[in-house]
Amino acid sequence: MQTVLSIATDALAFGMVLFIICIGLSLTMGLMRVVNLAHGAFAMIAGYIASYAARDLGLGYAVAIFLAIVGTIIISIPLERFLYRRIYGSPELTQVLMTIGITFCVIGITNYFFGPTLKTIPLPQALSQPVDIGFRTIAAHRLFVIACGAVVAGGLWYLIERTSFGIKLRATVDNAAMSDALGVRTQVVYAVSFAIAIGLAALGGVVGAEFLPIEPYYALRYMVMFLVVVSVGGAGSILGAVIACLVLGLVDTTGRYLMPEFGNFFFYAAVILIVCLFPRGFLGRAQ
Amino acid sequence: MTAGKKILGAAIGALLMSSVSAYAETIKVGIIGPFSGPFALQGKNFQAGVEAYMALNGKSVKGHDVEVIYRDLPAANPAQSRALAQELVVKEKVQYLGGVYFTPDAMAITPLLAQANTPLVIFNAATSAIMNTSPLVVRTSFTTAQTTTPLGKVAVDEGVRKVITVVSDYGPGIDAENAFKKAFEAAGGQVVEAIRMPMNTADFSPIMQRVRDSGAAGVFAFLPSGPPTLGFVKAFNETGLKKAGIKFYAPGDLTQESDLPALGEAAEGLKTSFHYAVAHDSPENKKFVEAATKAIGSADQLSFPSVGAYDGMHVIYKMIEATDGKQDAKKAVDAVKGLSWTSPRGPVRIEPETRHITQNIYLREVAKGSDGKYFNKEIQTFPDQKDPGLATQ
Amino acid sequence: MQLTAQAGTVSAAPRAKSLWWRDVIGIVSIIALGAAGYWLFPDNLALLTRIIAVALLVLSIDLIVGYCGVATLGQAALFGAGAYAAGIACVNGVTEPMTLLAIGAAAGAAAGLVMGTIMLRAHGLAQLVLSIAIVQLFHEAANKASAITGGSDGLAGLMVSPLFGIFEFDLWGKTAYIMGLALLLIVFVALKFIVASPFGMLCRGIKQDPVRIRAMGAFVFPVLLKMFAISGAVAGMGGALAAISTQVVGLDSVSFELSANALVMLVLGGLGTLYGALIGTVIFMGFEHVVSAINPFHWMTMVGALLIAVVLAAPGGLSSLVEKVSGSRGGKA
Repeated sequence: MQTVLSIATDALAFGMVLFIICIGLSLTMGLMRVVNLAHGAFAMIAGYIASYAARDLGLGYAVAIFLAIVGTIIISIPLERFLYRRIYGSPELTQVLMTIGITFCVIGITNYFFGPTLKTIPLPQALSQPVDIGFRTIAAHRLFVIACGAVVAGGLWYLIERTSFGIKLRATVDNAAMSDALGVRTQVVYAVSFAIAIGLAALGGVVGAEFLPIEPYYALRYMVMFLVVVSVGGAGSILGAVIACLVLGLVDTTGRYLMPEFGNFFFYAAVILIVCLFPRGFLGRAQ
Repeated sequence: MTAGKKILGAAIGALLMSSVSAYAETIKVGIIGPFSGPFALQGKNFQAGVEAYMALNGKSVKGHDVEVIYRDLPAANPAQSRALAQELVVKEKVQYLGGVYFTPDAMAITPLLAQANTPLVIFNAATSAIMNTSPLVVRTSFTTAQTTTPLGKVAVDEGVRKVITVVSDYGPGIDAENAFKKAFEAAGGQVVEAIRMPMNTADFSPIMQRVRDSGAAGVFAFLPSGPPTLGFVKAFNETGLKKAGIKFYAPGDLTQESDLPALGEAAEGLKTSFHYAVAHDSPENKKFVEAATKAIGSADQLSFPSVGAYDGMHVIYKMIEATDGKQDAKKAVDAVKGLSWTSPRGPVRIEPETRHITQNIYLREVAKGSDGKYFNKEIQTFPDQKDPGLATQ
Repeated sequence: MQLTAQAGTVSAAPRAKSLWWRDVIGIVSIIALGAAGYWLFPDNLALLTRIIAVALLVLSIDLIVGYCGVATLGQAALFGAGAYAAGIACVNGVTEPMTLLAIGAAAGAAAGLVMGTIMLRAHGLAQLVLSIAIVQLFHEAANKASAITGGSDGLAGLMVSPLFGIFEFDLWGKTAYIMGLALLLIVFVALKFIVASPFGMLCRGIKQDPVRIRAMGAFVFPVLLKMFAISGAVAGMGGALAAISTQVVGLDSVSFELSANALVMLVLGGLGTLYGALIGTVIFMGFEHVVSAINPFHWMTMVGALLIAVVLAAPGGLSSLVEKVSGSRGGKA
């Protein structure tokens, strides 16, 4: 029983890391219809900024997270303006080409400026201690990650379902031309949602750095995992993404506990099964 | 369309021909390594080792200028490896090939060597079997079996009788598992469980749960250096295994110096065995570290592949000396058989039969220096270790 | 989410009449370029052979992405199946190169059938993820079965006997290159006939509107599955060629990275023309080779910039650019 609980906690923490990083991609793919393979690159940029702020400048963890999110969004603005805006509405494969190109550039540039070594983001004392949660000890930052995930999921749900921005966003997604005609400034809506998605990637990159360490190849190394999570959840669905992350986190963690030798078989077999049963992901939007 | 094609052809032609080669007297050395991509750090270390050697020993041998040509092979890719080697030999007319980080890449080059009349000096690729595939291969790095074997005895000496092995599920990982098991059981220990985990594992806590459940007193681990190592060592600490007093043994790939700043406190006290520590205390090493740091740009990036490259260049210089600039692979290789010298890592020798390097293996412990930086502190020396992997074949 | 690109559909039906002479010119220029490669870069034949092997892979992707609208990021599974089948056969005593190519093609086709059966259950993004999952499973299987595949150390020691008993596969790689070039030509011509056949037309129809095709009374699944088998055979031959010419098979031949790279090359060149596949492969690999030789450390930025530039300048791929150029010269083609 203790083992089961223990595995479940690990799965929850890992699933939440995946969720925070992937939900931004899910939004860009589901709502904005952009296959942004450079999503991981933005998470990585945020990691570098946070690492620089916390380690080299000695700023606090919270400040580092804030700076990372703001900094990454600022970096993304010219990219959105000059590159992404050209591929809204393009065929997906053209978007793939462009965003892979951006990823390559980001990797090359980071490697040039920061070198190929691993970068860490020092945790504050409170988060780096193990905490006793009754049946086991767990690193405090894992609890922090779980909390972050819950906050992000709740906040996004509120934003999209309950605010006027959310209404405009959904309207734009359903019919951009009509929304435009009705006075919704779709360009602005797109720009803002892009910034939100990037901000989420940044947050995920920083709080997930304990699981997915920051280094130049980050952007490509985890691309497959992000894509899988998003499509299993159904692009654009927050609840779907939550379910997907929890299920995949559970499959991955249990698989690696029970049969580490066949951990990957387990994981990808589960992916095939899920996709065959739910061809649009758990809660994908109708096409 | 034809017009377009022509332009295209002309453009490609111009691009491909842009790297036309130079003087006849210059002796060229082709170095293949991962200079970009996920293993870029190791490639940079190759370059640092080569440049350090040339900075300390001059850029010419017996009046022959030595020119180094680097070619990038970002990940294990035998087809690309062969194409690069062929280009270096046929087009660039290199007399010596060096570098190679991954085993399959080396395997793709060795069948070419006899025809190319070119020796290959391996700076890293660590599978024992490579040496059997061609008599023109010399290796100045290590094999996983070589660096791992002393750990078996170390564990037993520390009173650890039951160990669980945890390795990444790929060639070197399995080599390490076998080598450790053999040495450990020969010394009287017992491997209670052997876990092989997928290469792309990102969360290691379920593995740590397995370690805890196994009831072993120690864990032997092998993972490729870089991000997985960081996650593994952190998980070992966070799940409380370190606090519970479970001993940790691994070859030095896990605590390579360039990962230590990131590992930080988590790594303190970890015991690893390896052929080289940047902190090795000798005048040769001091000189080497100084030159290599200058070449790589930052002391934090220096790691073990640099010394393999440094000694590899030493071997190549000796070969050039013996052949006096003429291309004669067999004579070159014969000249370095039995060659012994004092490397930055300590005394080394090229074994005449296997052409692999015999060297000291050190047991090291990660310690915090007076400057607050972590380093591998050598605490025990196992002198003159040959490659036990070859003996079994 | 519909993962088909519109770029390919443009060149599909309308210009049927004037096409045959363009194809003749196209094929002649491939021969000319191939010969030019042989004479101009006699020292780079191993690279050129590798480009041909990858070009076969990219062609095979064009068959299912460009002509059937099935998105895949797992085509290397088929390439690798061919490479490993040929490699294992060779290690076990079947050393005749032509036989090895046939074995590679058969293994690729078989793998294509498996892959198609699974992938055709889904659409769009889900399909893409299925393809990723399949190539990862193939990769794991090849890694696990290290007793016969050599695992991550690679399957080494392939001793291929001389072609026709005369021409050896040696350091200079002339035999491998000429054999590869001949193979590429034969495959290319065969594929041109296949995509122009009623079967090929049916595939394009399915890509544009599967519902209508179904309403017309055609069965979609077997048609697409057949294309998967053909595509698998082409990719498998590419894999076998790579195995024969390098004498080593590594895990990289069944990797996601190779699949993704190959798809990038295809999109770079342009979908649904077969020419695009060749142009994309040559440009991408040639460019990568040159910039990585000039600066082995930071060439990735240059390749990224190339991809971005192509999207900005020619969203339909490089072949659309070529069409535009030739179109504006000779009036409307």
